[in-house]
Amino acid sequence: MIERIHSFGRGIFELLRRPLSRAFESEQNPLNYLGALTIYFCWIVLISGIWLLIFFRTSVSSAFESVEYLTREQWYLGGVMRSLHRYASDALIITILLHVIKEFVFNRYRLNRWFNWVTGIPLVWIIFPLGITGYWLVWDELAQYVAINTAELLDRIPIFTNSMAGNFMSDELLSDRFFTLMAFLHLIGLPIFLVFGIWLHVFRLNGPRINPPRRMMAAATLAMLVLSAIYPAISHDKADLAMAPQVLRFDWFYLHAYPLIQSWSPGWVWVLLVGISVLLTIAPWAPPARKTTVAVVDLDNCNGCKRCVDDCPFGAVEMVPRTDGSNYSHEASVDTDLCISCGICVGACPTATPFRTKSDLIPGIDLPNQTAADIRQDIIEQTEQPASEPRVMVFGCRDDRQTKAMRRAGGNVVTVRCMAHLQPSYLDFVLSRDHAESILLLGCEDGNCNYRLGAEWTEARINRERDPLLRKRTDSTKIAMGWLAPWSDFKDPAKKLAAFRDALAQEEGEA
Amino acid sequence: MKLFFEIIAWTVFSVVVGLLSVWPRYAPVDEGNAIITVTFAHAAQRVGECRILTQEELNKLPPNMRKPADCPRERHVVRFELHSGDDVLYEDVLVPSGIWSDGKANIYQRILVPAGRHDVFVGMNDSGGESGFDYETRASVDVTPGRNVVVRFDSEAQQFTVR
Repeated sequence: MIERIHSFGRGIFELLRRPLSRAFESEQNPLNYLGALTIYFCWIVLISGIWLLIFFRTSVSSAFESVEYLTREQWYLGGVMRSLHRYASDALIITILLHVIKEFVFNRYRLNRWFNWVTGIPLVWIIFPLGITGYWLVWDELAQYVAINTAELLDRIPIFTNSMAGNFMSDELLSDRFFTLMAFLHLIGLPIFLVFGIWLHVFRLNGPRINPPRRMMAAATLAMLVLSAIYPAISHDKADLAMAPQVLRFDWFYLHAYPLIQSWSPGWVWVLLVGISVLLTIAPWAPPARKTTVAVVDLDNCNGCKRCVDDCPFGAVEMVPRTDGSNYSHEASVDTDLCISCGICVGACPTATPFRTKSDLIPGIDLPNQTAADIRQDIIEQTEQPASEPRVMVFGCRDDRQTKAMRRAGGNVVTVRCMAHLQPSYLDFVLSRDHAESILLLGCEDGNCNYRLGAEWTEARINRERDPLLRKRTDSTKIAMGWLAPWSDFKDPAKKLAAFRDALAQEEGEA
Repeated sequence: MKLFFEIIAWTVFSVVVGLLSVWPRYAPVDEGNAIITVTFAHAAQRVGECRILTQEELNKLPPNMRKPADCPRERHVVRFELHSGDDVLYEDVLVPSGIWSDGKANIYQRILVPAGRHDVFVGMNDSGGESGFDYETRASVDVTPGRNVVVRFDSEAQQFTVR
């Protein structure tokens, strides 16, 4: 059932991903950096917010005027900063929503990933009040609407003796202290929790992507700046508690639940919000995912080089003092709760080389359900299959759509858990032992690695920038990484393969 | 060509951000309507009379507990009604707050009314009576569209205000 929901969700997500993958190279595709983009928008909000704070006055009588001054008198800077503050806050709601949907439909929230999923939920509960208190501070008609309805919502919690909403019935009843409280929440209280929450959200990840690529940051900033210049954020009329706001320019990103406070009731809105949060919180265990077989360390072959520790995207491998009396000081140890069997540690292990002949192919760390020896055997078996010229050995990721499509179409693919599961010596093995003339690594579409860092590590290893390096004798031009240009333009894996063959044939002809 | 598509993609993103941050417009109050908000907290009368303790009874108590009157803590419910002309706009029975039902009864209610002149009647019973009101106020209010008329109970003056 849950697999069907994921599959259906992936289909919907595809509708967005496809046009974007035409527009962006994989390393520039915003869909691969949704979390990092969210944090980047937070930076824009923070920096623009600091400028607004300099001029903002926290009192009932002058809050509105100070924002008006920024918007109208100082439009060239304060007005732009205000608009940036507003639109970046809105933009991050889109990136958060897509981030949540993507992690859900690609099944990246269960097993050891539950922690990142669950710690993301409080972040949403911090970000929405941050945005809502921000609207409150402007003290225009929208702020009045937000203040009264938020107070009605809070009144439903049975801990307040007097009605908070009753304080917003006349200007005389409203004190500056209330604004000071809101300003404290918006400027200090909630941001502190947000920073801590983001740290908690990512601290278990190895090499979390905190920042998107510079070009993407520039594009996002430019987009928000252009929007701010063309359509600057402005206030409604000043709040007047004797009048009810009539027609509001509503920010649906933050206020979408507010109309329900009146049309349903505050109580039912709480039921909805808490209900969604509870459902999201229990999602990683509803139903529980099947635990995969975790990586196993073979001490006879582990020399404590630490490469598996450096490359594990989930921090599931750590170095511990040696337990077998060997001369090496440390050995790798796998945390079975954190390992999700991606095989990236095997791809990082220098002993996982298919050239080994004197001893059995047992690397220092391996996956019991698809050993390094199994992959070598698959390569040899694939070599025996009839193949078109020039012969291309295709490697695909087990969970990737392209690999499944290619296998369904009868194509020969050596399937591994992740592209980075392949130690680079396997590529050398294929080419130098004449198992094929060239190699196509399908990888995950658009470099959207199911195990976070697989595409990144594979590129770095093949480009000889990260251990274990591809051997110098291996012609890297014979290796195509399908998620990179120009191959990423071909969405059908068969067409990708055909295009690669054409390119090889053309190269051959030119030679 | 890629750059062109990239610009288009960011433009679409910006348009979605800009659009959903202000549109569609939302009208919390329908055109031609206004709001009457009832909001106050009121401690109703206690359910029983206070009994003055005799000196003998007081002497039996520890010095720090010698209150001259022994009053029951529990308060009556508050019966509240709001009328406009012959129409009952709102009626409610408010329960005192607190575990011992000895606190104030709270009310906060927004009522949507058509704009125009309203002959408002506000009545409150806090002495446990099934009929009749201990406090009554009548007011004729000219309610313009969008106006927020607030009905409060002034505990010092012991009467309702309609503004």
